[in-house]
Amino acid sequence: MLGARRVPIAWRSRFRALRRLYSRYYDENTPEARGLRLLRAWLSPSQFEQFDAKGYFDVIGSATGSKYRIQYGTSMNVYELDDTGRLKVGWCFVPQGCLVAGDVMLAQKIALETFESRALSIAKRFVPFGRLRD
Amino acid sequence: MPTQIVMDHNGDTRYRFDINDAEALAKAEERFKQLTGEGFTATVRTGPAEVTKIKTFNPKAEETVFFPRLIGG
Repeated sequence: MLGARRVPIAWRSRFRALRRLYSRYYDENTPEARGLRLLRAWLSPSQFEQFDAKGYFDVIGSATGSKYRIQYGTSMNVYELDDTGRLKVGWCFVPQGCLVAGDVMLAQKIALETFESRALSIAKRFVPFGRLRD
Repeated sequence: MPTQIVMDHNGDTRYRFDINDAEALAKAEERFKQLTGEGFTATVRTGPAEVTKIKTFNPKAEETVFFPRLIGG
């Protein structure tokens, strides 16, 4: 009886370990995981820290010096901040095609940091919702 | 080895090339022209917190990231 109980527990444990292993393997090879890896590799050290801790990171516009917050997501995820850190206006612009969140966020970051004016001329404004404050 | 990273529905596709291999280099330059011609933006890292948009092929860039044309959402 005791032996019969021990076997299923051992199998359950082995199954859990295998599931963790496959889950890790799966995560590391999904388009989403690749997109996030690329994004993380291209973030500045401070953006990297902020993104890991809060799920968003801030960028400075190349033309105006304005501060923007890019939240995890694939649309309506870029906000311009006012001097007090409040969400001032939302800017919706994305790279064409079906891209994962990490890729979209990296394209948004690069656009704001290198050709802000052109990015904003393409973008559609929206009224920000939620808080997203430090 | 220099790598061209093209964003796509799989996350990205990477093309590595040897700058000492003339054929591979020509192929990488052709890829650069084709992608930018299609509206992709090409960017390279010029520092730990600095990214620059490039308009001509830079074979010495360690990584060049290409992303599709931006559209208003």
